[in-house]
Amino acid sequence: MKLYDYILSPSCYKVRLLAALLGIPLELRAVDFHPGGEHRTPALLALNPAGSIPILEDDDLRLTESAAMLVYLASLKSSDWLGRDTAAEAARTEQWLSFAQRLTASLGGARLCEMLLRPGDLAALQAAGIAALRELEAALVEQRLRGERFLVADRPTIADIACFPYVALAPDGSVSLDPYPSIRLWLRAVRALPGFIEMPGIHRLHELKPEPVHGAEGEPA
Amino acid sequence: MTIGAMRDEWYPVGLRSKVDANGQQTLLMGEPIRLHESEGGEIVVETADGRRLPVVIGHGHVWTSLGQPDKPLFAIPEADQPGRRLVEVGVVRVRCSPLRAVENFLDIAHFPFVHTDILGAEPHTEVERYEVEIREHEDEVWATKVKFYQPQAAKSAAGGITTDYMYRVPAPTCSVLYKTCPARPGEWDVITLFVQPLTEELCDVWPWMALYDDVTPMTDLIHFQQMIFLQDRSILENQIPRRLPLDPGMEIPTRADLTSVAYRRWLKRHNYTYGAQLVAQ
Amino acid sequence: MPSTDAAPLTPLALSEDLPPATVMPIWTPEGPMALWRSVGGTLSLAADRCPHRGMRLSHGFVRGEALSCIYHGWSYDQGGRCLRIPAHPDLEPPASIRVATGSVLEAGGVIWRARADDPSLPPDFPGFVPLRSLSFAVSRDVISRTLGGESAGPGILKGTLAGSAVILLCAEQAEGTSLIHLLAPADATLDQRIAVSRAAETLRRAAETGTTEAAA
Ligand SMILES: N[C@H](CCC(=O)N[C@@H](CS)C(=O)NCC(=O)O)C(=O)O
Ligand code: FES
Ligand SMILES: [Fe+2]
Repeated sequence: MKLYDYILSPSCYKVRLLAALLGIPLELRAVDFHPGGEHRTPALLALNPAGSIPILEDDDLRLTESAAMLVYLASLKSSDWLGRDTAAEAARTEQWLSFAQRLTASLGGARLCEMLLRPGDLAALQAAGIAALRELEAALVEQRLRGERFLVADRPTIADIACFPYVALAPDGSVSLDPYPSIRLWLRAVRALPGFIEMPGIHRLHELKPEPVHGAEGEPA
Repeated sequence: MTIGAMRDEWYPVGLRSKVDANGQQTLLMGEPIRLHESEGGEIVVETADGRRLPVVIGHGHVWTSLGQPDKPLFAIPEADQPGRRLVEVGVVRVRCSPLRAVENFLDIAHFPFVHTDILGAEPHTEVERYEVEIREHEDEVWATKVKFYQPQAAKSAAGGITTDYMYRVPAPTCSVLYKTCPARPGEWDVITLFVQPLTEELCDVWPWMALYDDVTPMTDLIHFQQMIFLQDRSILENQIPRRLPLDPGMEIPTRADLTSVAYRRWLKRHNYTYGAQLVAQ
Repeated sequence: MPSTDAAPLTPLALSEDLPPATVMPIWTPEGPMALWRSVGGTLSLAADRCPHRGMRLSHGFVRGEALSCIYHGWSYDQGGRCLRIPAHPDLEPPASIRVATGSVLEAGGVIWRARADDPSLPPDFPGFVPLRSLSFAVSRDVISRTLGGESAGPGILKGTLAGSAVILLCAEQAEGTSLIHLLAPADATLDQRIAVSRAAETLRRAAETGTTEAAA
């Protein structure tokens, strides 16, 4: 399975992250998104006329929407991650997959302006991003009241993976995450999943590893 | 705000390969400037009121100055050696002082925590003694005999190695580092950080490299360096204060920070204070 | 560095939002602080600025009983003393390396900024339990007016949201914004709690847009 990938793209990272969590190997093909703009070259437009990445190819299947890629990976490996146990759960998963596109447009747009100098109305993108974060926070508060740590259940699903990257990287677009305690705990829960991989801007939870003992080789601390 | 002695220095303002006749707008030390390529293929940089600024082309970038530089752009002789691949990493904007961006580049102690499993990893956190000097003739800060254990020192590195480094500060917002070249033992890879000060608390960073590596695709080389620098960005945007404190009482260095200490001292000595915090806060 | 104990009791956060081995950023009138809980459950408050190179400690990590900075891994104990400098594993950090600290108290599921020299206990609210914290982009006065409730002490409002009695603990934040800790009746059902949480969103929209439509 081949992923046209960019190390700084949160949308590509969604796919890499779920593949890592599920143990699915990916062949990565790096796309020179910045500064090269390779995603808009004829060769890449031939694969995805929309001129965006990620692009995922598996035999004769070619996908250009990250949400569809998450569905595909989860379907290959584990129905738990699909978030489709009940009619309501399936609908809520879809709701978050669509919501994730708002995150891409708002927080992702602000990040491209602030970080990679892409032209855009920064204040409007940030305001839309804050509105989305408030919705997410409210939903996560309700989930916690129900005793569930993730977006649609007490287990992680593709809904969480679809929303995680742009939320975690909101500060890249100068949108603070300080005001959202439930988002903070949810981000942490995702980062603590076995097999989690990071991307630049999202640091590892160093506390998951014990503090190294120095000068006491073989002896208890 | 005073630009002070930093006014007469050269600053990177764009990748030479990306400047065309359409031109581009940017900011240098608070002043809006425009650059474009003339019909004759010459790069023109001017302020909003039409003042033409001095221009040099070097190390893949366009350099200019609001003042009158009295010396040429610093040289990087190693980068001119045949057989190196020149890597234009592209611009990244950071909400921090240009001086904080350079200081972070000079630091190795953060590798295990910020570039985990790539440039460093616990328990290999120790920074051994190294040498630092201000070379009076060149008027540059140099750190040599720097060593650090690295799980993946470069895109071309196969496994963990102890890497040798040398650091050099040839201009207040530029740094050049030389590190062990996994593909050609005995030679040094050249990795630079050129920082364009937009304001005292905002900068555009232009990493650039001259590597011996005939194997790795160019895009992978770019991405490796972008990955490393973007790991630093979230640190740089969260240091308090945003400006680099030059008052020695404000932040506590240790022996591992000797390069930073020399850099701060050198900045102070030259009155290079654009982006510096002079009074304790 | 001295301790920065100046302010009277102010509510900082809800206990549930700070489980063991986590840290969160807090804004106080003295500046940004890092509130953290050790693995063993002890709460501490430190200035959100590492003495080494100024990195915000609220971005750090908690191992055991210490808070570590994400930048170079320096770690600090609950009293603010530097315990470990990873770049020099064999060095005992000098006692002079400290991060400023503050005092906190925890009662009824709420974490309060306390004064070391003041023995007063935080108020308790029998019959109420914490529901959630949320920030408003307006001052406390605007929230109070929009809620239309009554004051029950400094920074404490009583009112009704979604038909349930509620208590709002208000802390002024930077730039005219406010952090509200919302308490709901202890016997409220799950549906009632969710309704109160949603009504708080409505209250916030009304307060921020300057309308006074009753959120109750
Ligand atoms: N099709 C969407 C696209 C995601 C997206 O916005 N990708 C960015 C990179 S992170 C992109 O390719 N943008 C094109 C551009 O900005 O020119 C998805 O897969 O979720
Ligand atoms: S800034 Fe905190 S350890 Fe260096
Ligand atoms: Fe770094």
